[in-house]
Amino acid sequence: MTMYISATFKELTRKRVFLVTLILTFIFLVLFAFGVRAISGIGEQSQFSPERLLNNMVMMMLGLFFAQFLSAFFVLFSTMGTVTGEQENGLLLAVAARPISRWRLYLAKWFGHAVWIVAYSAILFVTVVWTVHSLAGLPILLGDLLRGLGLFVWMPLLFLSLTMLGSVYLPMLGNGICSALLYGLALFSGLVEGITVYEGSHPALDKFFLLTGLLLPTDSVYRRSVYEVVGGADWAGLMTADMGPFSIASVPSNVFLLYTVGYAALLLLLGCRAFSRKDL
Amino acid sequence: MMVIDTEQLTKTYNGCGGCRGVSLQVPEGCIFGLLGPNGAGKSTFVKILAGLHRPDSGWGTVLGKPLGRPEARRKLGYLPELFRYQDWLTPVEVLSFHARLGGLRPQETRSPAFRNRVRDTLELVGLQNAADRRVGGFSKGMQQRLGLAAALLLDPALVILDEPASALDPVGRYEIRSLLKRLRGQGVTVFLNTHLLEDVEELCDEAAFLYGGELLASGPLHQLINSTGGTNWRFRLGGWLPETWAELSNAVGDTLLPHLRLVEVDDIGYALLTARVTDREQAGYLCALFMRNGLTLYESGPERNNLEAWFLQMAQSRQGGNAQ
Repeated sequence: MTMYISATFKELTRKRVFLVTLILTFIFLVLFAFGVRAISGIGEQSQFSPERLLNNMVMMMLGLFFAQFLSAFFVLFSTMGTVTGEQENGLLLAVAARPISRWRLYLAKWFGHAVWIVAYSAILFVTVVWTVHSLAGLPILLGDLLRGLGLFVWMPLLFLSLTMLGSVYLPMLGNGICSALLYGLALFSGLVEGITVYEGSHPALDKFFLLTGLLLPTDSVYRRSVYEVVGGADWAGLMTADMGPFSIASVPSNVFLLYTVGYAALLLLLGCRAFSRKDL
Repeated sequence: MMVIDTEQLTKTYNGCGGCRGVSLQVPEGCIFGLLGPNGAGKSTFVKILAGLHRPDSGWGTVLGKPLGRPEARRKLGYLPELFRYQDWLTPVEVLSFHARLGGLRPQETRSPAFRNRVRDTLELVGLQNAADRRVGGFSKGMQQRLGLAAALLLDPALVILDEPASALDPVGRYEIRSLLKRLRGQGVTVFLNTHLLEDVEELCDEAAFLYGGELLASGPLHQLINSTGGTNWRFRLGGWLPETWAELSNAVGDTLLPHLRLVEVDDIGYALLTARVTDREQAGYLCALFMRNGLTLYESGPERNNLEAWFLQMAQSRQGGNAQ
């Protein structure tokens, strides 16, 4: 099961996927740090003034929002051709003829990608949070940080499970477009939900949010992750309003998080089943 | 023991193409050739054997294990037709990766014994000087050699090769032929799917012919070739005159005459004749007859493209609706 960890690492590094991603990520983080430093100095308020706290939270929200974006695109571009892409270019033929069950091969591929996606997302998350914490003085507790981190890396793993399932059925480009659209829909749904804080909710919109959340719960997991990292109920009250589309209108419950676990398991199960039955 | 045994194996794509009701037995230790024109269902059949396709109906075993099960592929080496290996890896890394897929533990692939095995396998296919180069820079022929190395790495009892020499130059093809003969000598069964009939004629002990997804013939190669009613024999003659054909026609008799054909004749009396004969004695009779009629016999022998003639005859007979 572990054979794909080093194989995926070699692929990411030697095809320079990692290199390009890390360079662009570094540029983003440097620009983000400049932004945080500039915002935190405005007005010279006390470190614990509500205005400064809100500014810092906005910066962290923005940082994590773009971080999840990067993380999702890393998943998308590195895995959208996992099955059909490799089938089309002939890589899978010699591999699948080896004495290994298809479901094990599928899980090994998932695991190989998951390790590096988790590593990348974790670095991204910790760097963003540490930047806001150290430059702007936003108080963060270790327990909150770890809960937020766990949920933040769970989000791309969910997306990975969906993209890999799509790659069993759809050609590489089609899967990329389809997965990106689904991810975009979930993101859009989250942003619209943030705006409804001002305008009040509507039953039709509520159903739309629920359905998109069930279809691809990445944005819900991301929102819970942000909620946790800013101290859960202690500080999150600040975030429920005044942040426009980035406001957290509703925080996904623990039951919903359990649903995401079941959802990912189901996606993996369907992927294993479909890959086992696929003619290569 | 039958290394490959299939019974009524069927796989179609929405009712079209593929193979239908193929029952085939491949004995242990032989080189077996699978023949047929494009679209005959050969690749589908090979992919079913390699566990890449699931049959719609029928059953079969590979090395005594049911088709499609991982155990059936434990001692199987497979070289696909249209394949690629990871561009970003070196041949040594590709082989180590395939060894892991084949069931070797990580520490086993790092052992000196395994490293020696990789080196020997690369040497066997002539890639010893490219062991540490990235596969991305390989020519098609080198990739094919690497594919062969991956197929042979884990001491397979059965090697399935789908067009193994299609991208190789004449030297490469000669080397692969020699390698396959050596494998047969070691008791390895080789299942060869190829369009290169001269390779089949030189290497294969047995063959099968697929056409339109159906198996038309299978068995020992010499029996198959002779099953169409004899062997093509060619005669190069001198002293040919305008009236010679009429004289020969009278002398040969009604039985042989329909099978005798004047292929070419030039102004100074050189002629090429072919005849379909049932055995060597009949060819010898014709030689004696030519000389009795005052002709000079320069050359006589069976045509080397007998398999090609058989192949064409099988395909044409099917097109004409006459199943063999």
